[in-house]
Amino acid sequence: MIKLNGIRKSFGRHEVLQGIDLTVNKGEVVAILGPSGSGKTTLLRCINYLEKPSDGQIQIGDFTLDCKHAGKKDIYSLRQRSAMVFQQYNLFSHKTALENVIEGLIVVKKVGKEEARKRGIELLEKVGLGAKLDAYPSQLSGGQQQRVGIARALALEPEVILFDEPTSALDPELVGEVLAVIRRIAKEGITMIIVTHEMGFAQDVANHVVFMDGGVIVEEGNPAELFGNPKEERTKQFLKRFTTEYSYSI
Amino acid sequence: MKLDPSFIWTAFLQLWSAVPTTLYITVVSVSVGFVIGIITALARIYRIPVLSQLSSGYVTFIRGTPMLTHLLLIYFGLPMLVDGLSAHYGLGWNSAKIPMIGFAYISFSITAGAYLSEVVRSGLLAVDRGQMEAAWSVGMTTPQALRRIVFPQALAASLPNLSNSVIGMLHGSTLAFTVSVVDLNAKAQIVASTNWKFFESYVAAALIFWGLTILIERITGLIERRIRVYSKGGVA
Repeated sequence: MIKLNGIRKSFGRHEVLQGIDLTVNKGEVVAILGPSGSGKTTLLRCINYLEKPSDGQIQIGDFTLDCKHAGKKDIYSLRQRSAMVFQQYNLFSHKTALENVIEGLIVVKKVGKEEARKRGIELLEKVGLGAKLDAYPSQLSGGQQQRVGIARALALEPEVILFDEPTSALDPELVGEVLAVIRRIAKEGITMIIVTHEMGFAQDVANHVVFMDGGVIVEEGNPAELFGNPKEERTKQFLKRFTTEYSYSI
Repeated sequence: MKLDPSFIWTAFLQLWSAVPTTLYITVVSVSVGFVIGIITALARIYRIPVLSQLSSGYVTFIRGTPMLTHLLLIYFGLPMLVDGLSAHYGLGWNSAKIPMIGFAYISFSITAGAYLSEVVRSGLLAVDRGQMEAAWSVGMTTPQALRRIVFPQALAASLPNLSNSVIGMLHGSTLAFTVSVVDLNAKAQIVASTNWKFFESYVAAALIFWGLTILIERITGLIERRIRVYSKGGVA
């Protein structure tokens, strides 16, 4: 279970997150929606401690971290409980697909090389890249790179996988293959938090949808409820753009 | 005076004995300078208090003054310092015991350190921040991430500059003759003045320098091809 309590984050004088409370149950898939600048990516990065929140508590499983008094060790153990899939993939560019997947296993989890390799190959086969084990990221398409990124996150068996707009940098043609992989692992009961602009995807994969704007959670609920019958005016306004056709004609 | 081509070969053979000295000076100054460069570059990138200001000051001062000046400053300043300390603490040191080449090692290491600091810094800055974040997100500590992810990529990115600096230090090592170190160039002068064939000896020295430089370029090329396989691109 993941529990965020009063997460705040400021960049200079601008408060991007104004006290976020969120609970994610084990096995749940949570989609975070919202316009640009609403703080959704910052929130995700705070959970992985890639941004340091100015206040609040983060609980992942049985580990709780108080952002005001977080030491190096606390930060490292928090990070080991989550894994991130980045918008720009961020694969280690000097390592092959397989080395990318097993790097964390070998360095952080201290798994033996042979065992790590075996697990890495399994995972890459699972995301449909069994034939690209020795390819470098520069030799892979965006969709393939992102699938390696997902395999890298899965390898660590974290308590939660955080997806930061996993398909935003992709060609429209390649979005499908990545969403299919995410959909498949969602069915396996892995806890996930996904920041996305893919409304249709959020609607049918997520068990819980959060709508953020201006650094606060405006509304949250199950997808049928939030998409079908939003209560807040801001949510309605935001969703309208995705549910109705453009009103002008060319 | 007429050119004596056959003496070029004679000088060439005699100059070989000084090649190790030139190479020692180059290798020592680049190696020590590389360590200084990494420390000062990291201090500046991570804005470590005090250390980063000291590093910036060091880099601007050294890059702002000629290499020959560094050598002379060390040559005249270091003995004062050593003898002063020795007298003050009764250490029994004697600056006269410092071998001449020691001055070259120390001063050229300081010179190389400043230039390599910039080389290392540009290499580190060339690595996308996302690489560090990805390393953190898989649970690595900052030192692990630097060692396994950032440094190898920074090295690949800075290799052309690095080889440039090595060549610069190889050629700069000729200044060591001012403190009576017999490097390649000083040896050429000796060979020249004992035979009264200046042009021929310096041609021989130039050829050896050129050969060594080509060697450095070749070695860099080989390393570059090996460590940059990953950026070849294309579909596997």
